[in-house]
Amino acid sequence: MVLRFIEAIGDKTINTLSSFYEAIKFTSICLIHMVQPKSYNPAMRMVLTKQIYFTTVQIIPLFVTMAILFGSVIIGVVISLATQYSLQDEIGSIITNFVIDEFSPFFTALLISLRSGTAVNTEIAVMNVNKELNTLREYKIDLIDYLFLPRIISGMISVVSLSILFAVIMLSSGYVFTLFYMNMDFHTYKYIIINAIEFKDLVILLLKSMAFGFVTMLIPIYSGLKTTNAYTAIPISVLNGMVKLFIALFFIEVLSLLLQSL
Amino acid sequence: MLENIAIIREVHEHLPTTEAQEQAIEQLKKLELEDIGLHRLNQCNSFDIFCVSLIRALMTKEMNVIIVSPFHIIDNLRDIETISTTIKKLEIKKDILILDTLSNETHYKGFSCNIVK
Repeated sequence: MVLRFIEAIGDKTINTLSSFYEAIKFTSICLIHMVQPKSYNPAMRMVLTKQIYFTTVQIIPLFVTMAILFGSVIIGVVISLATQYSLQDEIGSIITNFVIDEFSPFFTALLISLRSGTAVNTEIAVMNVNKELNTLREYKIDLIDYLFLPRIISGMISVVSLSILFAVIMLSSGYVFTLFYMNMDFHTYKYIIINAIEFKDLVILLLKSMAFGFVTMLIPIYSGLKTTNAYTAIPISVLNGMVKLFIALFFIEVLSLLLQSL
Repeated sequence: MLENIAIIREVHEHLPTTEAQEQAIEQLKKLELEDIGLHRLNQCNSFDIFCVSLIRALMTKEMNVIIVSPFHIIDNLRDIETISTTIKKLEIKKDILILDTLSNETHYKGFSCNIVK
C-alpha cells in the first residue's frame, strides 16, 4: 500500500518533470528559430502577414469598444478611490502605474488569449488530428518556421500594439473622470500624466506585453501539438491549453510585480 | 489550393510568393483547373484535391512520385485513363509510380505502361 503510494508519487513527479522539460525544450527551439534569419522564408512571411491581420487588425473594432467600456469604468473607480482617500497629488503616478504597468498589458493578453489563443489551439489540434502536420513534415517543411513562428510573432506584435492602444484609450478616459471628479482641465491632466510617465514604465509595458504575447501563442500551439489522434481530444486539448495559458499569464503578472518591488 | 502548391518552392527554393503562385497557376491551367486556385479544401472535389497533391509533389526536387491507390483517393474513378491523361497534360519529367492492390487489377487493363505484380 505504502509502496504503491510512493510509486504513484514518483510516477507523477517523473511525468511532470518530463513534460516540463519538453515544454522548456520546445520554447527554446522556438526562440532559437526566432533569431535565425533563415526561418523567415517567403512562405513564413506570407503567413506572418496574415496572422498579424487576423490577430491585430481584425480585432481593433471589438478591442476599442471593450477598452472604452472596461477601461473607462476601471479608471473611473481608480480616480474616485484616489479622490476619496485624498491622493489627488499622486493621481498622475497612480494612473500611469495602474494603466501602463499593470492593467493594459494584462487585459490585452486576456482578450487575445480568449480570441486568438483558443483559435490557434484548435487550429493546430485539428491539423494534428487530420495528419496535416505529418504531410508538412513529409514535404520537409519546418513546422516551427511555417506554422508556429508566424503565430508567436504575431501574438507578440498584437499584444504589444494593442496594449499601447488600450493604455491610450484608458488615459483618455482618465481625463474625462478627472474633469468630473477634480475639475481638472486638459492641459493640467496632460502635464501631470507626462510628468508621471517614466522610462521604466514604457520598458515594463513593452517587456511584459512581449512576454504575454509569447505565451499567449506558444502554450496553445504546444497544447494543440500534444493532441492525441481523435476528434474528441480537440476540446480537451483546448481546455488544457487555456488553463495552462491563464496560469502562465498570472505567473508573469506576479513575477513582474515581484521584479518591480525589488 | 494555390498556397498549398506554392509553399514547396517558397520554402525549399526561397522563391517569392508571387512567383511561386504563378508557377502553381501555370500547372493548374494545364489541367484547366485554374478556377480552384483560390478555393478552400471543402470547396474542391476529390479529383481537384488529387490534382493539387500531384502538382505539389511535382514541385519538389524528388525524381520519383508515388501515387498510392488512386481508386481510393478519387471518388467514382472508373479507369486509370483519367490519371494517365492528367499526367500527360502536366508534361511530367519525373518517374511516376502507381501502387495498387490486386483487387483493382481490372482497372488497369489496356493501360500502356509497365505493370509489375
